[in-house]
Amino acid sequence: MVNIKRLGVLLGMVLISTTLWAAENPVITMQLLSYYTYMPASDAYSDYMLPSLSLSIASPRSGNVRGEVVLKTPYTSLTSGSATTIVNDILNKAYFKARFPSFRLTAGKTRLSWGDGILFNAGDVLYGSSDTSVSLTQAELRSETGWMTSINYPMGFFSFAEAVILPSIDTHASHMGAGFRYYTNVGNTKVEAGYLTSYETERLHKPYVAMQGNIGPDWYMASSLSIPQSGDIATETKESWLISGGLYHLQDLGNDKTLSLRLEFLTRPFGNWELTSQSDSDCALLLYPEIVYTPSSSLSWSLRSIISPLDLSCNITAGVSWSVFEGFTAVGYLSSPFGDSSDLFSWNAATSAVSLVIGASWIF
Amino acid sequence: MSKKILTLLFALILLILPSTLFAITAEEIVKSMDALATYDTSYSTGSIQTTDRFGTKESTFKAWTKGTSESLIEFTSTAERGQKILRTKGSLYLYYPDAEELIRLQGAALRQSVLGSDLSYEDMTEEKTTLNDYTVTLDGSEVYNGHDCYILTLTAKTRQVAYPIQKVWVDKETYVTWKGEYSTSQGRLLKNMEVLSVMQVADRTIPKETKIDDAMKQDSSTMMTFDTLQINVSLDANLFSLENLTW
Repeated sequence: MVNIKRLGVLLGMVLISTTLWAAENPVITMQLLSYYTYMPASDAYSDYMLPSLSLSIASPRSGNVRGEVVLKTPYTSLTSGSATTIVNDILNKAYFKARFPSFRLTAGKTRLSWGDGILFNAGDVLYGSSDTSVSLTQAELRSETGWMTSINYPMGFFSFAEAVILPSIDTHASHMGAGFRYYTNVGNTKVEAGYLTSYETERLHKPYVAMQGNIGPDWYMASSLSIPQSGDIATETKESWLISGGLYHLQDLGNDKTLSLRLEFLTRPFGNWELTSQSDSDCALLLYPEIVYTPSSSLSWSLRSIISPLDLSCNITAGVSWSVFEGFTAVGYLSSPFGDSSDLFSWNAATSAVSLVIGASWIF
Repeated sequence: MSKKILTLLFALILLILPSTLFAITAEEIVKSMDALATYDTSYSTGSIQTTDRFGTKESTFKAWTKGTSESLIEFTSTAERGQKILRTKGSLYLYYPDAEELIRLQGAALRQSVLGSDLSYEDMTEEKTTLNDYTVTLDGSEVYNGHDCYILTLTAKTRQVAYPIQKVWVDKETYVTWKGEYSTSQGRLLKNMEVLSVMQVADRTIPKETKIDDAMKQDSSTMMTFDTLQINVSLDANLFSLENLTW
């Protein structure tokens, strides 16, 4: 495992040096957020400041080879991670793309977005978009990256096939992952289907399908299975079945005022449907409503929530974002969980907190 | 006597005939306006400047178009570098390079504001078929900023347009819309549009700098500027494809 990660870090260093040599102007994103929290379980108040920095160095957007390195401040790994984990966190992206006459090759650390969904996406078999441990204060709710080699093969103007190979998470070549997807339009509906096999704690096979269309509002749906290679295959496959979907509509309120409405759901048909406390791993139904009111081109108010209807618990985040100057945005959020102590979202669990976040980000 | 009357009548008809036979209709003017903004192919670079009381924000772009329904915009300014919009018939694809994400939009989502400006994705990549959405009347003529213009009023046929009433001043020679007043169906003024400068491209007069003021807010405006515009250029056959969008 260490060797593979060292190899990854080494490749990252090579990519940094080659990309720096041919880079366009680097783009820096700074974010400074002040957190004021109240933890009901311990009746304790706290406040702290969390700076974050992202440095993107990209090659010129011309020619048949492109690359980018993105370095980010690590947080979760700094306190408990190993050196290689920390370096891997800092090296958020490091990849090159090469465009051949009939296909495109991408290699390095980057992201592939499969399926459809902002928060819940059953089609995201690469990284998983079904858990609830996300911060609703971020514009991009899912942003995980990983090492890979992928080939994209165009099949007409609006269709393509894509294959990906994932390196082993340890030194065993048999623990490598691989997958493919096909993306096309059938009439007015986008249809995407694919398959990934990967080794996590055991070898899993993950087929998925995703669709998107319009029925007044835009709609999207995805479904996937995670089939183990051994053990109680039928039971585990049933329990892994995920279906996600969503509706999105933008209502023009006149004079540049808009109201955007989104409702997503995630369901596990063979999950825990009892009207009792739910857990993230087998919760049968989750909802994600999102309302964003934009009264002017530089200001937006948002209300986002993850709701667990079966135990009547939720996490609500209200926010405001004000694009004051070019690249400079002031933000404010108030976030709180509501629910009993054993519920999916709990008001008085040991780590639960009501948070007020005030800060700003600057991109230049 | 009767011969004189007949001669007089004939002369009168001859005088009136050209102005009735050859008078341009409001619909023909609108078609000429649309034709001016429609090219077989085009490539342009430019910027969108949004100004409010806190200052000006600028986004720069490169754009390619083919006919009335295919267009591709790539943003080149720092904050949005690499973001692309591909418009095809009935669909809009957005590509965000940071998330390596390809998003397909249809329906009302096309009316989202682009980069916080007063322009929607539909405005930037719209199909120029004004008569599908509006009925038009010719209200008269007026010299505006030294340009002899037709004055037209366009009234929306559907609710699916941003501005139910548009009053526009259209150059009689070049069909450039020098000025526009965009209102609600009750006649409340929402936006003022003014073309500040034009450029000559392949025998056409094209707006170079267009300013849109928000009538409801002080010190709020959007300026769209074309730095370069080439029309009827040769474009890669693969340009308006997902393969190129995600590159």
